[in-house]
Amino acid sequence: MHLLRHPRNAALLGLLFIAIDVVYVVAPTLGGGHVDYAGATMLAALGIAMAFMAYVLASGTPHD
Amino acid sequence: MTAESQALTPVEHSPVGALAHDARGGLSNPVLGMLLFLVSEVMFFAGLFAAYFSVRAAAPQWPPADFGDYLHVFPLAGPATAILVLSSFTCQLAVWSIRRDDRNGFIRNLAVTVVLGIVFLVIQGSDYIMLWTEGLTLDSGIYGSTFYTMTGFHGAHVLGGVIMLGVVLYRGMLGQFSARHHDAVEAASLYWHFVDVVWIALFSTLYLLPGTAGGG
Repeated sequence: MHLLRHPRNAALLGLLFIAIDVVYVVAPTLGGGHVDYAGATMLAALGIAMAFMAYVLASGTPHD
Repeated sequence: MTAESQALTPVEHSPVGALAHDARGGLSNPVLGMLLFLVSEVMFFAGLFAAYFSVRAAAPQWPPADFGDYLHVFPLAGPATAILVLSSFTCQLAVWSIRRDDRNGFIRNLAVTVVLGIVFLVIQGSDYIMLWTEGLTLDSGIYGSTFYTMTGFHGAHVLGGVIMLGVVLYRGMLGQFSARHHDAVEAASLYWHFVDVVWIALFSTLYLLPGTAGGG
């Protein structure tokens, strides 16, 4: 099986969004700016949703 | 092998081999549909959480002074959480049972799951009555409306899950599921686990997250 088609890699795609989310929260916190909690929440949820989608794409297609 | 049985043969080497697959190795339609539905549900609840965190961050004090001591883990919310988490375990036991073709175990575990789901709803109803009596209503400003909107939508999802599991249980009692044919069981269990995870997030946010004295 190709490495990209393993479900743990789908989860990694979600982690990528979480990493961006962390930067999104930490940067304004360190800079003394306003933290956008709604945006941070949506980014985290998007990571979960994208992990689901990658999972579906990885496992929902026929195996060759 | 008949065409019908071949169409639902699990693919052992698949990364998601435990879920139902079609003959070519892709996910079965019910499981695929449920996963896509759950993606939309994730974003639906994300909107609610985002609104809550945004409102909470903008408020000078959270909970507002008038509602500082309303939400308690005991005697209702904590046990309700434990019951819902337990129901996820029994639901998974039911899935594992039907994968082994153990129909009695499947029906027994799924029946327990349905009962636990109903108990959760009863406890949540009791919590609503108690809070409403004490003065926390939908009219209680942004605090009351966010609380009832978030928990209410979740409760509606639990009710939907109980109905879904009830239909699956009924079909199971009619003998419609086996180790090879149980796509609906897999799909319903995915939904139930999702509802459970959402409640854990809700419970942690609403009941466990410490309040703020100032903004943010």
